[in-house]
Amino acid sequence: MLDSLSNSLKDAVKKLAGKAVVDRAAVDELVRDLQRALIQADVNVKLVMGLSQSIKKRALEEELPKGMGVRDHVLRIVYQELVSLMGPEAEVSLKPQTILMAGLQGSGKTTTTAKLCRYFQRKGLKVGAICCDNFRPGAFTQLQTLCQRINVPIYGDPKEKDALRIVKNGLTALRDVEVIIVDTAGRHALEDDLIEEIMQINAIVKPSHRWLVIDAALGQAARDQARRFHEAIGIDGVVITKMDGTAKGGGALSAVAETNSSIVFIGSGETIDDLERFEPNGFISRMLGMGDLKALVERAEDVMEGGDLDVNAMLKGKFTLKDMYKQLEALNKMGPLKQVLSMLPLGGMNVPNEVYDVTSVKMERYRIMMDSMTDDEMDDPSLLGTSRIHRIAMGSGSSVDDVRELIKYYKMMQRALKGFKGGGRFSMNRMMKQFGGGDKLV
Amino acid sequence: MFEGLKNKLRDVRSRFGASIEETLEESPVSPSPATPVADLTAQEPAPESTKDEIHPHEGVLEAASEKKPKSGFFTKVKTLVIEREFILTEKDLEDPLFELEMILLESDVALPVTDAIIAHMRTSLVGNHRKIRESPDEIVTLALKNALREVLGEGLDLPGFIRSHEKPVKILFTGVNGTGKTTSIAKVSDFLKKKGFSIVIGAGDTYRAGAIEQIRVHADRLGIRLIHHQEGADPSAVLFDAVEYARAHKVDVVLADTAGRFHNRANLMSQLEKIRRIFKPDLIFYVDEATAGNDAVVRAAEFEKTIGADGVMLTKVDMDKKGGSAISIAYTIGKPLVFLGVGQEYEDIVLFTPDLIINEILGEDA
Repeated sequence: MLDSLSNSLKDAVKKLAGKAVVDRAAVDELVRDLQRALIQADVNVKLVMGLSQSIKKRALEEELPKGMGVRDHVLRIVYQELVSLMGPEAEVSLKPQTILMAGLQGSGKTTTTAKLCRYFQRKGLKVGAICCDNFRPGAFTQLQTLCQRINVPIYGDPKEKDALRIVKNGLTALRDVEVIIVDTAGRHALEDDLIEEIMQINAIVKPSHRWLVIDAALGQAARDQARRFHEAIGIDGVVITKMDGTAKGGGALSAVAETNSSIVFIGSGETIDDLERFEPNGFISRMLGMGDLKALVERAEDVMEGGDLDVNAMLKGKFTLKDMYKQLEALNKMGPLKQVLSMLPLGGMNVPNEVYDVTSVKMERYRIMMDSMTDDEMDDPSLLGTSRIHRIAMGSGSSVDDVRELIKYYKMMQRALKGFKGGGRFSMNRMMKQFGGGDKLV
Repeated sequence: MFEGLKNKLRDVRSRFGASIEETLEESPVSPSPATPVADLTAQEPAPESTKDEIHPHEGVLEAASEKKPKSGFFTKVKTLVIEREFILTEKDLEDPLFELEMILLESDVALPVTDAIIAHMRTSLVGNHRKIRESPDEIVTLALKNALREVLGEGLDLPGFIRSHEKPVKILFTGVNGTGKTTSIAKVSDFLKKKGFSIVIGAGDTYRAGAIEQIRVHADRLGIRLIHHQEGADPSAVLFDAVEYARAHKVDVVLADTAGRFHNRANLMSQLEKIRRIFKPDLIFYVDEATAGNDAVVRAAEFEKTIGADGVMLTKVDMDKKGGSAISIAYTIGKPLVFLGVGQEYEDIVLFTPDLIINEILGEDA
């Protein structure tokens, strides 16, 4: 269902290609598909309607820049409008600060609190957390368990009924740490007493930031909920959680538009390292069903602590089996394959689910086969003839077919990466490949 | 609950009525007299416009806020002699139907489900001119009611189910992270306990930090026996023990908590499959939240496909008065809604019946 949607979006884009003048009917179709895509991604309906009006207006009225095709022109407008919806890129300073977490029940505040502790800890800061959720049973134990694993001090008292007192005591107890993250109980816009409570907490903590945690699956309600939180404590950042599911996070976009803030982090997995800095490029790509390379690069750099994988060389098209070997090793560290693949430039391709299940086993086999290759072969895979393949198969205890499959896989990766070279931060060329030509990789 | 949807639907219903009455009022003005032949030809425009399944979405804001210009409609009636008179054509319905579509979307009814409801409304309204003449409001209400009833299902009488089945009745709770499975189990326990059943809870969420502690506190407060192992244990083993305990102590109901998991994680889903194999539940309740948007459909379908579901528990209904995801989920997996979670206290749980909701949304007085 979702795939058919992004396919129809792709088709609509294709129709714009090669046109010399902007075709009203084609733009209409594109805008309609875009509307459906955004609504299905849970962006607020009113927001979508307003957005598509201005996209259509600009696409039809703005003069075509010299040397730019209709398709690029329209896509640039789409992109610009979407980015402007997201507000300016949020700065996360690495100075001593206090952050207050707010959000609905079950949106993932406690998990995100622990992830943020980990994030600032990795940046070399002294971190502490206060748990003033004394309503939900187990909330303190949950945060305590998570923080103990990473040796972060936490203050909380599940027996104390008064959240305000916990906060006061917590601030005293943690006066030595540089970054304090305050986790609060889940609450929603219609619970006036709880909204009142968080206003009081806000008054006591005087936090540097007040972040709203939004579940990626949150629908149209996001707008009203965000408004209420914003009125109460002045939200200045949004964290999207559970982006490892299939939800697209459009609700967060509504929240950002409503609070005039920006998205700060994205939570995308169950382990404590699964927190990414927000990148408008990547978010939009994911929402519209395109690959996002930049987030992958950033994540790769962060997780591997440098040196393991030369992403730039790969991007230049110089991709050998050695690179692939490193890449496979890196994949292990980078978490679920599906998540990584969704960021790889294969994004436009329809990978069947079974592929992900098999692949982690297969990856390991590939690695063993590559261990049986010589250095020369790794550098220049074109050397691999029948007799060498035989030798490798014997050496690694696999079959000739397995080795051939490995080579096929390598070639596919190489082709995919080649398609991505060139282009700076945001290349129209690149975007188009994802929109238009991604499917042929299958 | 469902206030938002209710109010908005009321508006659109009056618009439908207005549009129909407009047709009725203006038809006598049309110059040509009604003949049996004209009746036949009048059917033609409808199939012609059905191919235009997707409405022209752009210009919606204006379309939604502005009233249909009367004079334009007038001339249309005059010029298109064939389309004249009582028959409700697709054209007449376009605006109100589009408005209904927007209302459903804004109420978090997922896009594919909205499409289905609109299609249902269209087929049941277009062409029914004789009935419309009798009472336009009634037929619109009926069409909406049928559409919603079709989607919402019949509910499930849980106490009745438990009484009529061999004890212990085993109920498994599934769903993605953070939808409120653990809290729901506490509420259902409280509900069943008050109905006089004895209960044991199996702490099957051995993954999330603090989950066992959470369910333990609930069980203590409610005075219900909890079977748990430590964090990281095999959930199937915990739940197996819970069933053994229930057998030995002649307990009526076993409620099994599970860790939240995303439907796109093959290994976690196969773990759930193993749990189902070993626990052998009599009922599987899929738990999701009222605030979820379009993803509700995707994950409900995936859970239904891999694990199956016999009922749906919708949580956080107090958070979102619109209640559209109830319609999405019920439509997608075609299983009855059983409970609604409507607050933070144990008693904030409502046994679902379709008429309750439909009457609440549409109002019996209409």
